[in-house]
Amino acid sequence: MDLSYRMRLLIVVLSIGVLAGGGLLFKQLLLPDSFGDYGPYRADAITEAALVPIRHGTNTSCFKCHSHEAKIHKKGRHQTISCEFCHGTYADHAKDGKKIGTLPVKKEKEITTLCLRCHNTEIKARHEEVIKTVAMPNHLKDQNVKLTHNCNQCHQVHAPLKYIIRAKQITGLMEAGS
Amino acid sequence: MMDRRSFVKKVLNGTIAGSLFLVWPMGGNSIETPEEIPGIKGKEYDIHHQEFAFIVDVTRCIGCGSCCVADKREYNVPDGNYRTWVERYVKGFSDKIYVDSPHGGLDGYQHARTDIDEEIRDTFFVPKLCNMCKEAPCVQVCPVGATFISPDGFVLVDEKRCVGCAYCIQACPYSVRFLNPVTKVAEKCTWCYHRIRKGLLPACVEVCPTGARKFGSMKDETSEVYKILKGPGVLTVLKKEMGTFPALYYKGARREVI
Repeated sequence: MDLSYRMRLLIVVLSIGVLAGGGLLFKQLLLPDSFGDYGPYRADAITEAALVPIRHGTNTSCFKCHSHEAKIHKKGRHQTISCEFCHGTYADHAKDGKKIGTLPVKKEKEITTLCLRCHNTEIKARHEEVIKTVAMPNHLKDQNVKLTHNCNQCHQVHAPLKYIIRAKQITGLMEAGS
Repeated sequence: MMDRRSFVKKVLNGTIAGSLFLVWPMGGNSIETPEEIPGIKGKEYDIHHQEFAFIVDVTRCIGCGSCCVADKREYNVPDGNYRTWVERYVKGFSDKIYVDSPHGGLDGYQHARTDIDEEIRDTFFVPKLCNMCKEAPCVQVCPVGATFISPDGFVLVDEKRCVGCAYCIQACPYSVRFLNPVTKVAEKCTWCYHRIRKGLLPACVEVCPTGARKFGSMKDETSEVYKILKGPGVLTVLKKEMGTFPALYYKGARREVI
């Protein structure tokens, strides 16, 4: 009577121990390594998210080699524009300071399309204090140039007012002198 | 009394100085765009003591779509899906709102809308991205613990744990999530977490030409976002009544923006 009671107690305690141990073992096998380090998720996922390859550099990284363009770009009104928006990503062009590929250069009508992404008056949300806009082809007519002209035929794309200011200075001086 | 020699010298000096003054480039009202987040590069990243904020200045957005292009390039996002996009809001005189976002603003906005009959009162662009909610509905609903809020406040997706059930896509009030057709798992904007960990700005902030997107650390009292958030200006969050407590703030967003 007494023995069987103790036996039964032992069986109950043992089975609880086996179940708990088995459960813990099962959990250990099923849960990924870093699960629960910070919360109910895999902490390694944060490290993995931080290891995604960087594809965009900064303007400074472009200027390290392209010093001529840097000089013009930094002085002009387009200084806030990222090189990579027009030219393509740093990762496609250079790796560890060495050139690995050529970025496509925008040509003719592509340039005008690119300029008008920002500078088109037709879109009314562009405020004067933020950006200078033009209406096409009225701008070409006003400036007395052919309607087939592309933006870059008058504007230096890196510093859009570079030639314009210079031309005004020269003509202004000539007008004053004559 | 001035002799001839000194007179000629003075005149020439004046002329040269004057002409130099004309040629010297004028430093216009340019916006200084920092290229890095100070205090991260070269230091050990303390994941428990970080707080970041993102501010979108609606009044400065010109809808060029360079942020969308940069985002697509940074992650090779499949066509038709957008981690970030730019919406165009057009408000008519009858107070009716027309919203469109062709290709998520990826090709920019080249033309005005032609399908609106009434006179237009106002038009503006609203860039959208992950709100990085402190009480994120997407995290609450994930059945496998694949979406979580990291100790530094980022809502991230564990690609290896995600089973692609798309529950989070339904739960997100801001519709920033999508099912990647290539990897078949949920994907979303991470504010370029990999760039931030290396001290770089998110790609969209990096390329924004007008400074409409601002990003910075709230632990850094000299950062622009800290000054704006602690300053007197009015900032709003999207869908405040949802109680999600976003870390993405909008400056100059009108009531109609949802």
